[in-house]
Amino acid sequence: MSERRRRPATYRQALKRAALSLVAMMPTVLGVVGLVGIFQVFITKEMLASLFTKEPIRDTVVGTLAGGIAVGNALVSYILGGKLLEQGVSLYAVTAFVLAWVTLGVVQLPLEAQMLGVRFTIARNLLALIFTMLTAILTVQTLGVLG
Amino acid sequence: MKLRFQGVKFMVGVGLLYGGLALYDSDKTLQALQKSGMVLMEILAIFSVVVFISAAIHYYIDSRSLAKHLGEESGLKGWLIALGAGVLSHGPMYAWYPMIRDLREHGAGDGRVAAFFYARAIKVPLLPIMVEYFGLAFTIVLTIYILLSAWIQGLIMDRIDWIAEDREP
Repeated sequence: MSERRRRPATYRQALKRAALSLVAMMPTVLGVVGLVGIFQVFITKEMLASLFTKEPIRDTVVGTLAGGIAVGNALVSYILGGKLLEQGVSLYAVTAFVLAWVTLGVVQLPLEAQMLGVRFTIARNLLALIFTMLTAILTVQTLGVLG
Repeated sequence: MKLRFQGVKFMVGVGLLYGGLALYDSDKTLQALQKSGMVLMEILAIFSVVVFISAAIHYYIDSRSLAKHLGEESGLKGWLIALGAGVLSHGPMYAWYPMIRDLREHGAGDGRVAAFFYARAIKVPLLPIMVEYFGLAFTIVLTIYILLSAWIQGLIMDRIDWIAEDREP
């Protein structure tokens, strides 16, 4: 049983232990935060928009992958998604893009793996990737049925 | 507790990447550094809350009682707590990793954790804006499917025994 798992004698001791645990992971946090800055500045909205070809199936996959790479506030994905719709990109692709933006994160993978384990990270992200595409397809199909 | 830093090589690698990018475009690299600084401030604010929650988990919460509420056997209540917490949580996903790690160590099931993460796709404060951009029907249908997807992913995660092997012994 790890030292962290043993119940601390006082709350103060627990607080110290929690703070030290966060301090220990700061190099990874700083690395991830550094990557977030790079992705936000070097991967522009125009670059992401240029990936779409207006072919629904291909664009749904592209939307999922592009959303998974992109970082930033979810609001940005709505604005960009709205623009993509205006440009004629399918709702399947835009839904996948908006959803992947908040559920997937290539940048945070190292930290997730370190904190929660490599296997958990692989399984969770693979499932999220598949379900993001499925959710996008089901959402648009349902809207079609509802008229 | 002995302090052992994790991810030093990764951080150095990102530092080197900044160095390389600065040679290519110093203005953009500076912008990236500024953006990172802003993100770091946001993370540190969340971390200050996470420290207190983590300490409380370690000190007050007994593993058996937490497993009862969020473990694999916690039933509908466990799913509702995980989904509700996901919908209500704010900030970047990675800011919540330390707290989630502590909860897993105290018995929270992988399925509930996965459901929590996926339910975070529902951003309550941004729902009016989603309605504005994509319409009310789209927002309602997508929100329902996100919750269903989160729950189904959780059910699948609970059935993948392979994951349990990388939990601490």
